[in-house]
Amino acid sequence: MERGYWIRSKPLYDSLVWKQHATGHVVIAEGEGGIAVLKLFQQMCPREPIKLLFADDTSATKKYADIITKLVPEGLQVCESGEAVLAALREQLPDCLMGTQFYVAGSEAFIWAVIEELKVYGVQDRNVEKELSGTLARSVYCVHCKTTDKDVHHSIHQCSGCGRHLFVRDHFSRRLGAYMGVMVDAEEPGNIPAAEEIYP
Amino acid sequence: MNMAKNLAFKQETFRDDYTYSNSAEAIRRFPFPFAEDEYMYSVNIEQHNGGAPGSVFEHAIDVDEHYVAECADRALVLEDDPLRYIALPHMMDAQWDMVELVMDSLSTDYPEQFKLTKDGDNWHWINKPLGIDQKFVFGDESTLPMQPFEFVGRQVQGDWIILDQRDDDLFADMGIVTSQADWSMAFDAGMSFKEWHGPVPQANELGIFDRALKYLLHLQYGSPVRRLNWTMTVNPRLDTSPENYPLWGPDNVSVTPENVGDKVHLRVELQALFRLPRSNAIAFSVRGYLASVNELATYPRWAKRLRRVLTNLHPDLSEYKGLDFYRQMVIDHLAPMDDGTELELGTHPE
Ligand code: HEM
Repeated sequence: MERGYWIRSKPLYDSLVWKQHATGHVVIAEGEGGIAVLKLFQQMCPREPIKLLFADDTSATKKYADIITKLVPEGLQVCESGEAVLAALREQLPDCLMGTQFYVAGSEAFIWAVIEELKVYGVQDRNVEKELSGTLARSVYCVHCKTTDKDVHHSIHQCSGCGRHLFVRDHFSRRLGAYMGVMVDAEEPGNIPAAEEIYP
Repeated sequence: MNMAKNLAFKQETFRDDYTYSNSAEAIRRFPFPFAEDEYMYSVNIEQHNGGAPGSVFEHAIDVDEHYVAECADRALVLEDDPLRYIALPHMMDAQWDMVELVMDSLSTDYPEQFKLTKDGDNWHWINKPLGIDQKFVFGDESTLPMQPFEFVGRQVQGDWIILDQRDDDLFADMGIVTSQADWSMAFDAGMSFKEWHGPVPQANELGIFDRALKYLLHLQYGSPVRRLNWTMTVNPRLDTSPENYPLWGPDNVSVTPENVGDKVHLRVELQALFRLPRSNAIAFSVRGYLASVNELATYPRWAKRLRRVLTNLHPDLSEYKGLDFYRQMVIDHLAPMDDGTELELGTHPE
């Protein structure tokens, strides 16, 4: 919330649910998105072919690849990292487009990085199922120096590019996969409110 | 007076020493936006196919005494921050549509200043006020010194955002935005109608964005429309972008009861929407007009009206427009000029 009203560019996320009327299903997940994948595969699976690209978050203690491997016998590709998932997706996308339903789960930054890849092939983000998993951490785009910082947990964030203290707004760009950060003390330099951890 | 023929362009600045001011004639034709003593957002869309001679609505694209200075300010902004111009790759047809719209309009409406000759696709463009003489092949990018939309975008006043229409929505996929009221083209690029309007209070609740979008999706080629929007700006600064907020933010708190009349400006945006023929995109122009409170107050009717609108303004709108720090000072400054008499409906100065 900002100034007491809701900014409607902030995306809404849901729980992954299999969709009908697809010729194939592609699930793309990273890190805590593993939980969303496990929940998805506890539902009645569709008959069409399923492909699953997954990478554990290497820095996290909790890993899901092993459980997922047991649960998903076919179509699973476990990658080294989120970046590797994106690379695999880029490579395989041209083969699986017509009628394919896409599902994405992970951090917000990961979700929108995947959707940028899909967009190249004309897939609209409204046709992609998205589940935000694990963290509310934000990517923040500094509107002054155009640096994007990942994993921001606080209401006020010091930009790694220009050093300004940014207020993290709710205004979200899907193209940049980031929230807007605006200098918080522009009117009265030095008057910087305390940062609170509101995106755990 | 026929503005088209007798345009004298002022030398003035919109930054640093802020020498910008309006002639008496420019104040008279100022698009004062308040027909009533109260203001709330509405779907205030009307036809834009010619207005009263001399008014800002007369032509599709208005050129006034500030033309040369505004284009110079735009060039400064672009030099400092090239990303104020953005064109996503699929917008090339719309770029040429814009070349046609700008050159056709200006050369038809201001023949003393702009001249366009067409020999098939071989076009010859002369812009006398800016000293530009360019021959090029319409449709061939390599014959212009820069992208076609940037080329014409640098030769018009006001910001231009070009919307791609698909899936029953509009997407801000191209723009040249150097004089905006606190929003960022670099950030908003690629957004849908509801997304870029996300930060606006109240309007969504009133159903304004649903109705406006539905209307615009059916906009016809040859039937442009317009609306007015307004805010206030401290100092006659065109570039009140979020990018440069560190530069102009301190000005907001520099207003005092002594300087308020000269420092605080009403900023009215004449927004026009044109369907483009090749791309089926929509061109959205945001032409800003700035006048100080004292300039406006040369017409007692406007002084009274402005005071009442500001007094009655919804607090969410005041905060969103960034007026909270100095709004009361403007009201107090205008108070001696408001005798409380009833004002008839309308925006006219006298
Ligand atoms: C289709 C082209 C249009 C574009 C590109 C556009 C763009 C914008 C942008 C970027 C903002 C600033 C949002 C922010 O704070 O970040 C804005 C504000 C606003 N827009 Fe639009 N707009 C368009 C059409 C319309 C139409 C047709 C209406 C209504 C009928 C409308 C109503 C508003 C209102 C009420 C505001 C708040 C303005 C204020 O209080 O200063 N817009 N618009």
